[in-house]
Amino acid sequence: MSAAAGSGGAAPFWRAAGMTYVSYANTCAALVRNCLKEPFKTQALTREQVHYKISKWSDGVPEKSVVRETTPS
Amino acid sequence: MASGSARKAGMRLSSLLSGSLASGIKSQTAAASPWSSSTGAAGELGPFGSRFASSQAVRNRMKSVKSIQKITKAMKMVAASKLRGVVSKTEKSRGLWQPFIALLGDHPGVDAKKVSILTVSTDRGLCGGINSTAVKYSKALLKLSSGPDKEVSYIIVGDKARAILQRDSKQSIALTVTETQKISISFTQASMIVDEIVKDLDFDVVRVMYNKFNSVVQFLPTVTTILSPETLIRESESGKLGDLDAYEVEGAEMKSEVLQNLSEFQFASVLYNAFLENACSEQGARMSAMDSSTRNATEMLDKLTLSYNRSRQATITTELIEIISGAAALEASN
Repeated sequence: MSAAAGSGGAAPFWRAAGMTYVSYANTCAALVRNCLKEPFKTQALTREQVHYKISKWSDGVPEKSVVRETTPS
Repeated sequence: MASGSARKAGMRLSSLLSGSLASGIKSQTAAASPWSSSTGAAGELGPFGSRFASSQAVRNRMKSVKSIQKITKAMKMVAASKLRGVVSKTEKSRGLWQPFIALLGDHPGVDAKKVSILTVSTDRGLCGGINSTAVKYSKALLKLSSGPDKEVSYIIVGDKARAILQRDSKQSIALTVTETQKISISFTQASMIVDEIVKDLDFDVVRVMYNKFNSVVQFLPTVTTILSPETLIRESESGKLGDLDAYEVEGAEMKSEVLQNLSEFQFASVLYNAFLENACSEQGARMSAMDSSTRNATEMLDKLTLSYNRSRQATITTELIEIISGAAALEASN
């Protein structure tokens, strides 16, 4: 939040870039995890693994489902 | 003509076969004729030992019940070991959303135009009634929230609730998420899902419906209300919000910004907790369901064994009587 405060009274830069608070927080968390030393790093990085399937529905019909499978870093 | 005569011969044969000469005739027919197979297929000609057919069926049934019992027992073990891991994770995750209740309060009765109902269910079945409970409560929430100028939609997590809800209310489904448990449930995952929901959907209030894990046999259907930033600001201006004003906002940030960040973070942590609680309840429910089905299989097996032994005994008794009376008749004729 100090970075946001440093950018002045306007909306923080990540908000202006279209990020939500959670994605900003996760980006920060990923950066911190990458700073860890080795035995702890791989341990912490497993918490970043993501897998889920999402599909939007319109008028009662599901659109094609998308698999999100990433390790955001 | 040929088939007609074959059928006649077959009938004659079967009447012969039902007598005591069965084994001799059988070897003859197998050697001699093309119609032995057709009569066999028609089922008029019982195979050797057909007298015991019903007890054989019972024996097969007993075998299948036994293997089902083994499977359910194994599933129970698996669920129990999975449950142990996920329970500790869940208990830790409860600390994430509890401060939000202290800070913002809980607003289940808030009035809003656009309501999203987020139903958390499991991907797999065989776990008791937790999915149908979640769906039932979600439907009630939909009824409570809907009105003349209101928009209500479902966000569904998990295959099971989707399968039920798409049958009768597919028009209200906005988004479905599945396979959340494939790797493991993490906060990163919950926040990615929240990110997509916040960007894709326009809502004033999200009501998260999930089964809170209380004990292995008890789940509490729980609704957590998450207000969108705009609703949060409106509520805070009318003074209904908890003791947020007791805190001083640091830096040059606006209160609305803080509230927006808080709302998004609250959504992510509530969803993370809901996923874990749901996983916990799933394993617990599966454990107790598999336990009772193992017990049922044991009971069934006992019954089947009893009736099998009884009928076997009866057959043996009948055979003995036949032999003895036959011998007695022979002796009498001599």
